Amino acid sequence: MKNRILIVDDSFYMRTMLKNMLTDAGYDVVGEAANGQQAREMAFEFKPDLITLDVILPDNTGLEVLKDIRQELPDVKIVMCSAVGQEIIVNEALESGASAYIVKPFSEDKVLEIVSTALQSDGDEASA
Amino acid sequence: MKSREQEYREIFLAEALEAYDAMSQHISVLEKKPDDEAALHELFRLMHNLKANARAMGFAEVGELAHRMETIFGLIRSKERAFSGSLVPVMFDGVDTMGSMIRAVNENQPFPDVSTLLENLDRLVSGEELQVETAVVVPSDEDANRKLELSDLVYIQIKKLDHLLNLVGELIIDRDRVLTLSQEIGDPALANVAAHLSRLADDLQYSVMDARLVGVGTLFNKFPRVVRDVATAEQKEVELSISGQDIQIDRNILQIITDALLHLVRNAIGHGMETPAERRKAGKTPEGHLSLSAQTERDDVLIRISDDGRGIDVEAVRRKAVQRGQVSAEVASRLSEGEVYALLFEAGFSTADQVTEISGRGVGLDVVKLAIDSLGGQVRVESRLGEGTTFTLVLPTSIAVKGALLFELEEHSYALPLMHTDSVVSLWPEHLNIVGGMLLAEIQGENVPVVSLRELLSDTDDTLVPASKDTLVGRQDIIITNYNSRKLGLIVDRFLRQQDIVIKPVSQPLDMIDLFGGVTLLGSGQVCLVLDVPALTRLFLARRP
Repeated sequence: MKNRILIVDDSFYMRTMLKNMLTDAGYDVVGEAANGQQAREMAFEFKPDLITLDVILPDNTGLEVLKDIRQELPDVKIVMCSAVGQEIIVNEALESGASAYIVKPFSEDKVLEIVSTALQSDGDEASA
Repeated sequence: MKSREQEYREIFLAEALEAYDAMSQHISVLEKKPDDEAALHELFRLMHNLKANARAMGFAEVGELAHRMETIFGLIRSKERAFSGSLVPVMFDGVDTMGSMIRAVNENQPFPDVSTLLENLDRLVSGEELQVETAVVVPSDEDANRKLELSDLVYIQIKKLDHLLNLVGELIIDRDRVLTLSQEIGDPALANVAAHLSRLADDLQYSVMDARLVGVGTLFNKFPRVVRDVATAEQKEVELSISGQDIQIDRNILQIITDALLHLVRNAIGHGMETPAERRKAGKTPEGHLSLSAQTERDDVLIRISDDGRGIDVEAVRRKAVQRGQVSAEVASRLSEGEVYALLFEAGFSTADQVTEISGRGVGLDVVKLAIDSLGGQVRVESRLGEGTTFTLVLPTSIAVKGALLFELEEHSYALPLMHTDSVVSLWPEHLNIVGGMLLAEIQGENVPVVSLRELLSDTDDTLVPASKDTLVGRQDIIITNYNSRKLGLIVDRFLRQQDIVIKPVSQPLDMIDLFGGVTLLGSGQVCLVLDVPALTRLFLARRP
């Protein structure tokens, strides 16, 4: 079974890159959300194995989305994505149940490593 | 050619230009209402994305500027700075400079010098209030006369393009009708307008078809990774070469063949290629060579998957087919190489005795065939034992409009897709032979079975009446069709012409008869049935004497 992944990022460019990296690596990207509202809807509908979640979104903060999804879907692995400069949010996210975080710009190898580690983990933290 | 890098670059630019426009708007709002949190949040978010994306693209200078701007917008959000005083003109300058940098990327120009701006921003971050004279940037003439620019790139959902294509299909049908009417009426003014309408409709049709084209590279570029993974799992060494990425094809066609291509590549590595040890023994390089190529041939796109592996063992396929009860041993021994390869595409066929992890658990080439058939395309196989195998997918460039051969049978018009038509011949009865109750015509040194289409389509499933030349009077118009390397001649009443047609699905209950791939409307308003060559070939095989 392919692991199913939901991508949440407000930038089409970032979503495209992430989607290409993940599908090339054999993951099934089940959806791409551009804001918090879509992220919640898609997460609840698709129940993915893992979500990559941007920390800054147009309508919500990634943290709010993280907490809402976490409450409904306790088992989903969530990998936070952020550019440098937002480390405070990232720390809070890890405390709120994110599995790992990726700092943009990211290399393909790093993304795949973090995603596969997160998928194998049982709530342990992975980071880069 | 649109490589992935180019695709990323286009998306980056489109998004960056859009972000720049939005930022220009939000910063003007902020100037009037410095406590507008929504505008501030958007400025912060857009700068943040621009920073991350620019760095991913390797535009470090853009990233640097965006990073400082984002920091200051962040400080304003956390109320550590206010959007007032000398900060305002510097931030305006920052947004404008960002616009210039994005345009510079777009036009492949060097970036403007931003050192003063970066210094000013650094000072603002550290809390300095700048002297007005250093902070104020006098708008240059260029700034004042600046033109507004919109992105040159539009993203569009494929379903909107599908709708457009359907409408064009309807239009083409009406165009043909108008042309026919104008000929009947014979009014020169009407003929003029009709001719003009016809040219416009043609132009529109090709523009819409063109808008749907993408480079084959968008699919090919995914294969280096696939090949690496499959080769590792199969413990093979494979070198992949890709060519023809810039060949253009309809996006939906590419979508439909994705699985077929994946299957063929996995098969080539899993079954086709030998292990490095076996290859050395056979005097080959330890690494196998796999090539994926595309080229255009007339209106078709040919996609080739070629390996230098063990090749197809024709005798093994014969044995397997007999063992599976597909054909009798006697028939099997008489099959030509092409006919033997055709057996590979029948459901459930697999010569690999051990089903490996990657190369498809018993899923045969029938899946590939189905996908290609649904597009009205063809699969060709060439193979040499010990030297390798090449699969060629012959695909239409576009979906909607197909070249077809129109002919008449019992005063009805029918069409046959050109994709499945090899040639048309007119033969006198004495040039036809009868062998085993079947008519045979010698076409380019090959004996091709010939059947009267009228009898083949007759409303019965019985075996065809053995052929006799007595019923054939005068020259016979014969269309030689080709499906899966199987040629069949169809005797029709009269050839009409070659024409581009728009095929529409048949509605019930005709749909039950899979002999008809669809209908098309002719200019005369006449309904014309489009015959499905694969189904006709199967029917002939089932009913032949």
